[in-house]
Amino acid sequence: MKLGVFMSDFRGGSDVLNRLSAEKLGIILVGNGIYHATTKENGKSSPLLDKSANFYVLSEDLESRGFSSADVDSRVKPVTYSDVVDLIFNDYEKIIWI
Amino acid sequence: MGKLTIGCFSSLVGSVSLDFGVKLAEAAVKKGHEVDFWVSSNATMLSKKGQKAFKDYSHLAKTLTELFATGKFKAVVCEACAEARGYHKDDTMEGWGRRSMDWYLASTFSADRVLLIGGD
Amino acid sequence: MATKKLAFIIRSLPYKTEASRLALTHAIASQTVEIYLEEGDNIEPVVCFIGDGVLNCLKSQQAMKHYGITSLEQHMKNSLLLDLKVMICKEDVDRFGLKEDHLIMDAEDVGGETKAQLVPYSEIQKVMEEVDHLQFF
Repeated sequence: MKLGVFMSDFRGGSDVLNRLSAEKLGIILVGNGIYHATTKENGKSSPLLDKSANFYVLSEDLESRGFSSADVDSRVKPVTYSDVVDLIFNDYEKIIWI
Repeated sequence: MGKLTIGCFSSLVGSVSLDFGVKLAEAAVKKGHEVDFWVSSNATMLSKKGQKAFKDYSHLAKTLTELFATGKFKAVVCEACAEARGYHKDDTMEGWGRRSMDWYLASTFSADRVLLIGGD
Repeated sequence: MATKKLAFIIRSLPYKTEASRLALTHAIASQTVEIYLEEGDNIEPVVCFIGDGVLNCLKSQQAMKHYGITSLEQHMKNSLLLDLKVMICKEDVDRFGLKEDHLIMDAEDVGGETKAQLVPYSEIQKVMEEVDHLQFF
């Protein structure tokens, strides 16, 4: 399956995400999920980004929390709401919110 | 063009997940898609009329009015969830429907994509 | 004539949030969905408990006694009574040191015949792949 996952949390949800498998996996970081794209703890990036997936982060939620595209890990692509709509309809058959 | 059904349980105030749902609906409608929007649990407050805009709280009523005007956006609130929170049919914002949970399931039947945004 | 499959994946603990309750009440609502659909069309729900969500399946919940609300146990039994497919992740049950005896596996006391299934996560993954739409609660 082609699965798009909206990750809205920083501390929770990784347990669920780690078990999901999909032929094509997209992880869209929204809300507090954006910290996975921007924040290092003890110098290390979020382990979530090691997962084999396409990563996106919602620019609006980045900016709301004091970040810009320049702060985003190179594995993650900043996107707008309009881009998210295209991802939903064109790239992923099923979408979930964590 | 496709149909997106969004279900949301998150609070109008105290969580920005509901804001996400409404903004996503707005973006989808702008691109010509059709959106069904279902609110239950604490998200029911989104459909209550008379919401005042304060700078400390999310205010989505204006966006909803604009969305209803497009004719591509349908929004329905879980009737039991609303009644349990003490607000009744007369308190519902113009444009909204009030139904039981089976309406949401029926909406998913014809949806190309379904996004359920869980609680707080 | 078509049937669309919907998965209700429950990963949340009970009572602190409404999430698991809403998953079950929405799944049960499939019983009356036909009034909105064309003749012959239907929705088929599958309810799966994973992660912490398996703790919703514990027996002897006394939510009515203490909170004055229907327990998740009752909602689970109602789901089984209505012949909904209910799956519980075995690895997560094992992780919490639980046995099948601790779990609500049937609704025999209310006249139900359908049983819940204790299955490996791989079976639940298969369900996720088969259904038309996925929802996580």
